[in-house]
Amino acid sequence: MKITDLHKKIGRFELNVESLSVEPGKIHGIVGSNGCGKTVFLKLVMGILNPDRGYIDYEGILPQEITMMTQRPYLMRTSVYKNLIYPLKIRGIRPDEEKMDELLDRAGLLEQKKQYARSLSSGEKQKLSFLRAMVFEPKVIIMDETLSNLDAESEELFKELISMRQKKDPATWLIVNHQWDHVNRLFEAVHYMEKGRFVKNEIAEG
Amino acid sequence: MIDWMINVFSDKAVLSAIRVTFMLAFGSTLLSSVFGIAAGLLLERFSFPGKRIVIRINRTLMGVPPVVVGLLVYLLLMRRGPLGSLELLFTIPGMLIAQTLIITPIISGMVYSYACRFVPAIRVFAITMGAGKWQTVKLIFAELRKELYFCMVTGFGRSISEVGAVMLVGGNIKGSTRTMTTTISLLKSQGIFTEGVGLGILLLVMAFILQCLCDFFQREEVQDENY
Amino acid sequence: MKKTKWLAALLAAVLCVGLTACGSKESTEEPAQPAGTEAAEPEETRTEETEPEAQEPAEAEEPAEEKGRLMMATTTSTEDTGLLDYLKPLFLKDTGWDLEWTAVGTGEALKLGENGDVDVVLVHAKASEEEFIANGFGVERFPVMYNDFVVVGPAEPIAKTDDIESVFKQIIEEQLPFVSRGDDSGTDKKEKKIWDNLGLDTSTDPNYVESGQGMGATITMADEQKAYCLTDRGTWLKQKKDADLNIELDIVCEGSKDLLNQYGVIAVNPEKYPELNNEGANDFIEWICSDEVQKLIAEYGVEEYGQALFTPNAGTDN
Repeated sequence: MKITDLHKKIGRFELNVESLSVEPGKIHGIVGSNGCGKTVFLKLVMGILNPDRGYIDYEGILPQEITMMTQRPYLMRTSVYKNLIYPLKIRGIRPDEEKMDELLDRAGLLEQKKQYARSLSSGEKQKLSFLRAMVFEPKVIIMDETLSNLDAESEELFKELISMRQKKDPATWLIVNHQWDHVNRLFEAVHYMEKGRFVKNEIAEG
Repeated sequence: MIDWMINVFSDKAVLSAIRVTFMLAFGSTLLSSVFGIAAGLLLERFSFPGKRIVIRINRTLMGVPPVVVGLLVYLLLMRRGPLGSLELLFTIPGMLIAQTLIITPIISGMVYSYACRFVPAIRVFAITMGAGKWQTVKLIFAELRKELYFCMVTGFGRSISEVGAVMLVGGNIKGSTRTMTTTISLLKSQGIFTEGVGLGILLLVMAFILQCLCDFFQREEVQDENY
Repeated sequence: MKKTKWLAALLAAVLCVGLTACGSKESTEEPAQPAGTEAAEPEETRTEETEPEAQEPAEAEEPAEEKGRLMMATTTSTEDTGLLDYLKPLFLKDTGWDLEWTAVGTGEALKLGENGDVDVVLVHAKASEEEFIANGFGVERFPVMYNDFVVVGPAEPIAKTDDIESVFKQIIEEQLPFVSRGDDSGTDKKEKKIWDNLGLDTSTDPNYVESGQGMGATITMADEQKAYCLTDRGTWLKQKKDADLNIELDIVCEGSKDLLNQYGVIAVNPEKYPELNNEGANDFIEWICSDEVQKLIAEYGVEEYGQALFTPNAGTDN
């Protein structure tokens, strides 16, 4: 994914990405202090915001192959299961219920399968929204603070699911995480942001 | 007491008034919901010059006294009015027009404020899920289902309780355009209170049922907020 | 800051527009006031209404001391014709009672009396009035005046006549549209009585409808529907003159003896409701039946409509 001269002004804040190349199939961390424009950047990539000018070359990836987990997950007013299969439903894919149950079981949500999604605890909500983003196997997965404030167990689950996915069919991950120490082992590239600009890119070895 | 209620509600004119009231309420709620929900959602979705004035006008119309709308519709529909040739004055379709004009702004205003509160998050979610345009619309309706029902119930409540406009436009013609509320006002003017009280009780019961429905929809909403 | 200023200015502008609109409306309505108040003694009316205690410069006579409020229930026709607005300041000046009234149908007016909500009733349905007294709610009935009813409607197909029977027969036989008040008012009772006396059944005319509204609203409806209706002459003349839209109906029947409408005044029985203002009620009855006031009633409307709206007949046995 190549980003050229991307520009967005929101109030006093200004995002300016002269050029950024996101290598496909890798896990990218985006690091920077509060208000440096990480979320704005992610929203531009997701297509939630439109840039004032500039261009993102998705290199053949369609918008519906990109997903994003927002800071506060949006859960539909229906059951846990229906939330999980929503991305499949709108793609006209019949969900394999056994597989879904397996997934839920792994996340410890199988018992709550029929429960009203919004009655889950906040950690469970995050897990559900993570599973929902994975279930339709998108090519680009954006996570905005999704891994913050998780208990150790859930964090392990997320890491496990991420590496599983990368082994099978590597996706491009864009991850913003405050407590990035915990997950930095996953990052294959780290992009540093300051005041709306990318200042440094580090590509990890191997 | 029961005998008396049976007596009141077996009267042909009273039954006709009840029938007219319900026909009007269902008809105008349906029409207003179609227009009001569409208007409310579109207003949230699109920006255009003068949008804020439109919203302000909408809010104003939400509180407009029904008789004012009634007068307006009367002037439109009367024999020498611009739409006089349609011969809709003192007919149920004419009353339907008046009530739809009264209720549509109420529904659109309520839908608009709910939409402002909930739809942006739904829309972002739809983008992250890769939903298409119509799938997004479908999702918005599914997610706002309870709120929309609540708006419709409110509109229905307005319709059954309305007197001014149906009196003016309908003309309170016995057995034809007389509603429960205009019957009560007529009975009162005749100094007959018992039947009026009977109809009043029926309206109260209906208001109570509506209130229960509203509570039900709102309770769900409170639950949702609780995270 | 800027925004709030702008809003305030807008609000002020709306208020101004509103006020001017109201103001101009009042001024345009002024000439439409009932004839008596304006034409007969305009100065007096105004001073009396705004400052009841002020000295009356035009008259040598001192106004009576103010005594309080007298509540009356009456029919819509006495209010609609403006007769009460015309009499009120005169009554206050002569007796000191401040007359207030609620104008409703005869049925409700009598009901208000039965419930002790008013001190005196002025209505026009003799049979009901006598029943009211027989049931102990009223003291005695005094005839005050009468007006007459007319049948109005399109000039075709009914030709103008003084024969009420032929008019009503034709309406039923040809199933012509007819708007009845159907509100149990004095006028409504009168109309029903005429149909009954003529042995006609209105339910056989599908175009016979009941509006359930006051006389003015019913005339308007008849005009809209090009229908016939029975109205008292006073409301008819006033409506014909004052309505914004020219009424396209005409009188098709008048002058029949069946069409007379006798008003009676009754004080509500103080034995039933001792807290009522019986003194004021008696003063009112005596006052309205006095020769002087009877003469005023006979003059009322002549100037504006070219004919009197009511014919006084106190002291007769109608």
